[in-house]
Amino acid sequence: MKIVVILGRVLDPAGIVVNRRRGRIFVNREEYVMQPADACALEAALQIKDGSDAEVIALPRGLLPDDDDVLRQALSVGADRAVNFVGRIGNPPYGDGVMARVLAAAIERLGETDLILTGATTLDTGQGQLGPRLAGVLGWPQVVDAWAVRVAGDHVETVCHIPPPLRGGLGGGNPYTILEVDLSAVVTVHPGALKLRYPDGARLINVYRDEKAVEAWVVTDLVSEEALQPLLEKRGRDFPPERERSVRLEGAPQEVVQVLASELRKRVG
Amino acid sequence: MGDSYLDLLMAQQEEAPTEEIAAEGGGGIWVVADISDGAVAPVTLEALNAARALADALGAYVYGVLLGEGVADLAQTLYQAGADAVRVASLTADDTSLAAFVLEPYLRVLSDLFEAEQPEVVVFGATRAGGQLAARLAQAFGGGLIEHVVAVSLDEATRTVQASVPIYGGEYFEIVACPEARPQFLTIEPGAFPAPFLDTYRTGEPALLEVAPVEPRVRLAGEAEGFEPPAVPLAQAPVIVAAGRQAGDFELVRQLAHALGAQVAGDRGARDAGWIEAGQVIDVRGVEVAPQVYVAVGVRGDTFHNAAIEGAEFIAAIHPDANAPIFQVADLCIEADPKDVLPALIEALG
Repeated sequence: MKIVVILGRVLDPAGIVVNRRRGRIFVNREEYVMQPADACALEAALQIKDGSDAEVIALPRGLLPDDDDVLRQALSVGADRAVNFVGRIGNPPYGDGVMARVLAAAIERLGETDLILTGATTLDTGQGQLGPRLAGVLGWPQVVDAWAVRVAGDHVETVCHIPPPLRGGLGGGNPYTILEVDLSAVVTVHPGALKLRYPDGARLINVYRDEKAVEAWVVTDLVSEEALQPLLEKRGRDFPPERERSVRLEGAPQEVVQVLASELRKRVG
Repeated sequence: MGDSYLDLLMAQQEEAPTEEIAAEGGGGIWVVADISDGAVAPVTLEALNAARALADALGAYVYGVLLGEGVADLAQTLYQAGADAVRVASLTADDTSLAAFVLEPYLRVLSDLFEAEQPEVVVFGATRAGGQLAARLAQAFGGGLIEHVVAVSLDEATRTVQASVPIYGGEYFEIVACPEARPQFLTIEPGAFPAPFLDTYRTGEPALLEVAPVEPRVRLAGEAEGFEPPAVPLAQAPVIVAAGRQAGDFELVRQLAHALGAQVAGDRGARDAGWIEAGQVIDVRGVEVAPQVYVAVGVRGDTFHNAAIEGAEFIAAIHPDANAPIFQVADLCIEADPKDVLPALIEALG
């Protein structure tokens, strides 16, 4: 069985300060970490590999420099192969529409892939379109935002948060629902669903010492120049109003409670 | 001599679109409805409101699409919320493929519809169903998809929607546009746009769409009995209710946390009172947190505690002392004894 895991990186939010009044973002510490949801997808792939002879191959979710690092992390925790895309790297950011085509071409070149796993959302932009777009290009079925993934013969069993009103009245009170999907399939994994294992020390050292541990494929060998045209364009930034603290709620206790309850409901959902 | 300006103007007016053209389709802004508990989901009404404003600026029509079991009756709600025309893909008695959201049948209906209608903008709610459909359709039509939109403006010269999307959960927003590809696909963040006034005088006759049977490749296999999601460490919890020495009845704090789906924590006072374990103490010497919502119940808020909650996006504090330091860092402050407020708050959160 061949499992492809798509991994990305994100600027660690702990190193960023946003000054709303000045409308500026200060990057105090430029450190990139693996997208949390992608790390969960990697762990899901490794858990499937633990109980079988599956091969796990890591691919990047973007055409950016230094993505090599998250691919090496994947190798250090147990992925069998990692491939990075080279050429046409950098700005403008290509977006998930372009990346879906590039990844689909890479997966076709890898051949006979059974399962593709990636994160359900990105930490910075909250985007979740890469998995469905990739499934669309490949013509495969998809399950998004899975909390658990298990391969059972020729299909995958996933657990997703779908409350009873959204599952056509299918019985039971537990909002977690089993979705089955035939292989080959794309499954995106919920951030926080699993905890990525620690790397093996010796393997970690070897992976970072070996310059050729990550294979490099030229992106223009995979898709045409026309396919690399970004669909979206960034046109600026906007900042929310400065936070107003110490707003005292005054009035009759019942009124005060209603205001607080409504604010909490709005924020918690 | 050619036509006068007046003739040209009159000719244009004669060609002006009418309600019949809205019913026939072509271009326009399309809103695909989310159904929740047999009703149109609030995010769909908000999306219609946003679509109406864009359509008025563009001189376009707003179309609503309803898919699901027995949804035809909901069409009037879409008209009342601002749709000029509504398409309905409803189930027949022997076709249950659209009863619950399963991707393939929905995708087939919408692909055929948009292939025929060539929309200019397609809007979904940023929900489980909307996100999947928008991404698949955007890829199929070669369009750009802007997710979790919280505000929109219009570049009228190119008829391009410019959308604000939150970065790092709303720390700041990026303004993104899809200048070339059409349709432009958007998913609207629930609660980001105001709900429209439902004009009961607006009515219409929805057009029914043909539903071709599609074998879904993803199957609902039942409830995941006994499945519990993994516990989130306190430091990463999205919602925290913290008790302090003045919390009074700790059981009420627990009930509030349950109502909010929050984790329970506290300050050193709560630890001294035996209400919480050492690992639940919020303090720079204990656990530092950055939740979306932090409710401090009877927490006075010493320097170490307040420094440990600096990363919280929203802090609500309830404390009887008007001079409690927690009020300097809280967004919403209630000066009251928690035992007088909590029962009503728990009831209001239901």
